[in-house]
Amino acid sequence: MRCAASVMHVLDAIAPATRLAAFRVVVGVFVLAYLTGRSPVFLALADRPAEDFDGVGVLALLSAPFSGGLVGAVVIVALVSGVATTLGWQYRPNAIAFAAAVLLLTTLRGSWGQLLHFENLMVLQLIVLAASPAADAWSLDARRRAEPDRHNPTEQSVRYGWPLAVAGLVTIVTYVIAGIAKLRYGGLDWISGDTLQNHIAYSAARLDLLGGNPPVLAEFAVRREWALGLGAAVGVAIELSAPMVLIGRRSRNVWVAAAWLMHVGILLTMAVGFPSPLFGAAFASFFALEQVVPWARERGVRWRSAVTAA
Amino acid sequence: MRTRPPLRRVVRAAVTAVVFAALFAPVLLDRDSFPLSTYPMYSSARSGESTLLTARGVASDGSSRKLTPTLIGDSDDPLVVVGRLRAALSVGRGDVRCAEIAERVLMRSEFDDVVVIEIASERHDTVARTLDQKSLIDREVRAACDVPRP
Repeated sequence: MRCAASVMHVLDAIAPATRLAAFRVVVGVFVLAYLTGRSPVFLALADRPAEDFDGVGVLALLSAPFSGGLVGAVVIVALVSGVATTLGWQYRPNAIAFAAAVLLLTTLRGSWGQLLHFENLMVLQLIVLAASPAADAWSLDARRRAEPDRHNPTEQSVRYGWPLAVAGLVTIVTYVIAGIAKLRYGGLDWISGDTLQNHIAYSAARLDLLGGNPPVLAEFAVRREWALGLGAAVGVAIELSAPMVLIGRRSRNVWVAAAWLMHVGILLTMAVGFPSPLFGAAFASFFALEQVVPWARERGVRWRSAVTAA
Repeated sequence: MRTRPPLRRVVRAAVTAVVFAALFAPVLLDRDSFPLSTYPMYSSARSGESTLLTARGVASDGSSRKLTPTLIGDSDDPLVVVGRLRAALSVGRGDVRCAEIAERVLMRSEFDDVVVIEIASERHDTVARTLDQKSLIDREVRAACDVPRP
């Protein structure tokens, strides 16, 4: 019954156009900030030795990496189409270009022997966004439309709710698969032994040997072996229980808070940052983000009234 | 004002099923890729002893000098740095990677005393190392090269 209800939740989810638009803005701003910050890394891919190239994903059939000029062009396309997507200008072609360019850059980065799993969710959410009508509100496209052709931004529709539910499904499944992986590859040792302590120590030693700064709380955590055993079990439980966000608001809030704290813990003890969840973009589809703007506006009005009265 | 009709329910169900199947396909095939993945990071059981790849400088007085992730792998991401070392060694290009590191070290004045670069695999008790205790168990130099000083 609960499984059927979860399927219904995804298929028949309704939301106003503004909620999907808010998701577009949050994800767009996040990915643009990420791309801007990491653009030197992406541009430097052009200098990597072609001999070591081992294409993965959509680049699996390539025998040689992109030329320097092409890498630069893809970075520019990603940034320009990212701005257009976030603003909702000529949305569909730009959103497709944005998703494709980010997919190419991140896949290219993983084609030299090391897949970076913290970029997967970001790319998958962009693909969902590119296929959805996320610029029917709060966009330049919406402002440009003549009055009779404008979409009602407040009307609840499956047209906007279903893409958000699919984006949420992607997040949920991603966490469940990560939890399955620990039980599959690590077995019960992962949660019953000292595996987490050894992973934290391994990350710290690896950074130290490469001349980097060890994670802030690595030594603190490694000294508390008893707590790490519990932490490992809790971590796997958080990952496997991701579907609880579909049950209700309270369970959603509890899970998102737990998952976010888990990522903060990973960052502080292992120096491994998952930007999308840490900045909230991974969880944005779960929330009624369109309510933030009127809430902030109302607070602003109240604050101004209080200041005037004083 | 109007709201366009949504996709038919059967279409939504089919697309959702395809997304669901695509996400789980790597798990069923046990094959990691990008962006569809088995998310195997940190999922294996790990012992307290590990073999790690690194590169170090050797100073003219024979002492060992720690380098930086950027000098070793032209990146600030340790996963990328190690991945590039591993990739080069696996195809017998350790000497080429060593020479690249030496070129970068040559540009940095604070490493003026470094005359040789060594790429090595080192076996450590990682818990002991994190606790700042003696940790090195074994060391094998996989590639070595001179820093091309004039």
